[in-house]
Amino acid sequence: MEPSNDVALDIIITNVVSVFRTRCHLNLRTIGLEGSNVIYKPEMGKVLMKLRKPRITASIWSSGKIICTGATSEEEAKLGARRLARCLQKIGFKVRFSDFKVVNVLAVCSLPFQIRLIEFTKNNRPIASYEPELHPAATYRIKNLRSTVQVFSTGNITVTGKPLTAFAQYHFTTVIWVYLECTANTMTVEEPLDTMPVCNIY
Amino acid sequence: MSRQCKNCGGADIDTDPARGSAVCTACGSVLEDNIIVSEVQFVENSGGVSSAVGQFVSADGTSKAPVLGSGFHTSLGKESRAQTLQNGKRQIHNLGSQLQLNQHCLDTAFNFFKMVVSKHLTRGRKMTHVIAACLYLVCRTEGTPRILLTMIPRVNVYILGKTFLLLARELCINAPAVDPCLYIPRFAHMLEFGEKTHEVSMTALRLLQRMKRDWMHTGRRPSGLCGAALLVAARMHEFRRTVKEVISVVKVCEATLRKRLTEFEETPTSALTIDEFMRVDLEKECDPPSFVAGQKKVKMQQLEQELAKKLEEYQGEINSYRDEIETQLAASSRTKLRGIYASYAREDDDCGSLDSGMTGDEDLEDEEMEAAAQHLNQEFFSQVLEQGDQGGIKDQEGSRDTVPLSSQVTHVPMTALLGPLPSAASLGLTDSIRECITEEDMTNMEDQSKNGELDLDGIDEEEIEKYILNEIEVKAKTELWMKQNEEYLREQKEKEERIAKEKEEGTYKEKPKKSSKKREPILASTAGEAIEKMLEQKKISSKINYDVLRDLNSKGSGSNTTQQAEDVPASGSGRKKLTRRKKQPNKSNLGLAKPASLMGKRLRPLISSAPKKKRTAAKPITPSITMMLPPAAPEPPPAPTPPPVLESGPVAYDEPAEEEEENEEEAEVSCISAMELIGGNDYGCEAEEEEVF
Repeated sequence: MEPSNDVALDIIITNVVSVFRTRCHLNLRTIGLEGSNVIYKPEMGKVLMKLRKPRITASIWSSGKIICTGATSEEEAKLGARRLARCLQKIGFKVRFSDFKVVNVLAVCSLPFQIRLIEFTKNNRPIASYEPELHPAATYRIKNLRSTVQVFSTGNITVTGKPLTAFAQYHFTTVIWVYLECTANTMTVEEPLDTMPVCNIY
Repeated sequence: MSRQCKNCGGADIDTDPARGSAVCTACGSVLEDNIIVSEVQFVENSGGVSSAVGQFVSADGTSKAPVLGSGFHTSLGKESRAQTLQNGKRQIHNLGSQLQLNQHCLDTAFNFFKMVVSKHLTRGRKMTHVIAACLYLVCRTEGTPRILLTMIPRVNVYILGKTFLLLARELCINAPAVDPCLYIPRFAHMLEFGEKTHEVSMTALRLLQRMKRDWMHTGRRPSGLCGAALLVAARMHEFRRTVKEVISVVKVCEATLRKRLTEFEETPTSALTIDEFMRVDLEKECDPPSFVAGQKKVKMQQLEQELAKKLEEYQGEINSYRDEIETQLAASSRTKLRGIYASYAREDDDCGSLDSGMTGDEDLEDEEMEAAAQHLNQEFFSQVLEQGDQGGIKDQEGSRDTVPLSSQVTHVPMTALLGPLPSAASLGLTDSIRECITEEDMTNMEDQSKNGELDLDGIDEEEIEKYILNEIEVKAKTELWMKQNEEYLREQKEKEERIAKEKEEGTYKEKPKKSSKKREPILASTAGEAIEKMLEQKKISSKINYDVLRDLNSKGSGSNTTQQAEDVPASGSGRKKLTRRKKQPNKSNLGLAKPASLMGKRLRPLISSAPKKKRTAAKPITPSITMMLPPAAPEPPPAPTPPPVLESGPVAYDEPAEEEEENEEEAEVSCISAMELIGGNDYGCEAEEEEVF
């Protein structure tokens, strides 16, 4: 186990994807021409609308389905979605805010040591898979949590999946870290890591 | 099998398997000629070696039909599965020979392909992709990996990769990871170093190993590393290979190669001379280059932060002086408060940045910190969660939970944390998952209760107003947008005009939407009718004589018959000749058991060529047949148990046989009559064909 300096995990939620429905048909052309921060792509059949306050990009379809990406927390996602709906209301559609659901959460974590991916995958077959030709990280899928962990050789880890809460994901990454500690990775001996991030969960 | 002679009615018929004839001993008339027997015959070769006569027919039904001359046009079509496999085999051979794989690899690949097809993984995927993925899989498992990119030219590697990953997962094959060292000999050969190929390869291998130790190879495409190593090795041995040549062999782009070379340059090994490199292996290992780059960034950020902090500190000092002055002038209560703030400030430093809004909850925090310090187990976690739940679910919980945790973590050293963590974490996880799932239910219910009304609190109206343009702006934007999307709009217009024209002309074709054909459910009173209707709707095969089936239904009855009829016409669609059985008037269990079991055997190869659906119907039948027979009325077995006799040509004895059959029990009727009837209509007079098992 690693020495007792206060090494802690730095887990940042970087993206929250959510969907909701407006329960009414939306005229994309109107939105595209009257909104100031929208891009209308008729070939794709959707409108991209970007909000500034919670930094959110939303894809709006004419059926009323809206996907919001870019939020940094679940509350923010909801707030952003509501603002969006309010904006659409003001343009003139009878918008109702229903079926809001957070669909995917991406969290990033940085471990203070490097990881030997080949050994890691060997020990964790078949849950882990590593194809250097396709992607530089080893992907580790956990079925019961329905999330995917991508482990990079530099020690960065990204966790994507259905959100339970940030709490559970923190838990989960600690478990992974312990796992990694125990399974064939080494911190290179000459490497005195002077960057010890203090534990913060944003 | 004994039957009655046509001429004299005598029951004593002598069957000679050697001559293949059945003769009535009473009147001497030949009843059957060229009987097909189910024995294996042996033929002696010129060397004195005996071998069995005939061809081996596999149960899959994928063998080629024996060529029978001109009169055999009916059954050249194979069923779909066999065609797929054959097609796949051909493509595998094509692609494999291009890649110069040996026969063993190709066979293994074909086996993989068979597995894939049986798991229905080829659906929705291009055949070429699946084939390439199979071949790639074989190469990986054999330890002679090819580059995925080169398997099929001009195809997106990631699509191929996706297919490959899916195959590997479904077939549960763990391919060993790609080692760039395995590519070196092949690339060296392609770069044509002549006699010195081996030396260059060895040097390149050494370089690669050095790269591995320097953490350059994890997460990188192996071909890029090989390219860099080979380039350097070539130069070391005084071969001039330009970057372009190497790239064309290795299939990476120039930028990648240059980057690898630069990274290698930064390692201390690059400072060695050639001789030194061959002799000495440096001890020090390096960090991965991206890590180093990341570290640099982090350092820069830290510097900036420190500068900012210092600025703040100075400001803070000034402020604190100001405060002191003020408080000196004010009452004493303020000093007390400041004391409290000071202690909290200290805690702040310890814990890092707390949420600014949380200063009100200090008491709670204290309690939690104590509890945390005391026991690190699931009770704690559930406690925290409960408190969080009580406090107000959505907004508060996340931040509140994180705060005590963060404080707790930094107070407890990592070793203690890591010690009980595996057990605690797993337990805590399940707990937290449960909690969170129940939470989710609650939040779901809440949402539903809202009934789609938009909750307007927290929304800044003014800002939203800014998002909407006023009229002038709308006009301007409309113009701009129209100009931008002119092409698309024009296309749409043309399309509409075209559709309108076609509508007028009446040649308008609806866009082929994938609507499944909704068939009406078949309503029939008897099973026989049901079969008829089904067969009318769905022509199973052109080789089935549907008239016979209709007759069949009129004669026989009962589900067994129909099942059998379903079975057998389907099996009749196979290339195999239909065999017919003659029945004996006195059936015995044993007498029947043998032909029934043999019939079962025969049914099986017949059935196996049938579509899969029928197969499942067939299987329960064969056991049912054998089961039906034992409960049949026991009859004394005829003295000699005659071997099963099958007819080949048109049978003159059909009618009496049929009449006999009608007198028999239903079970037997169902078993035999269907085949008999179908065979009896001159269908497939393949007299010459022999079925050998």
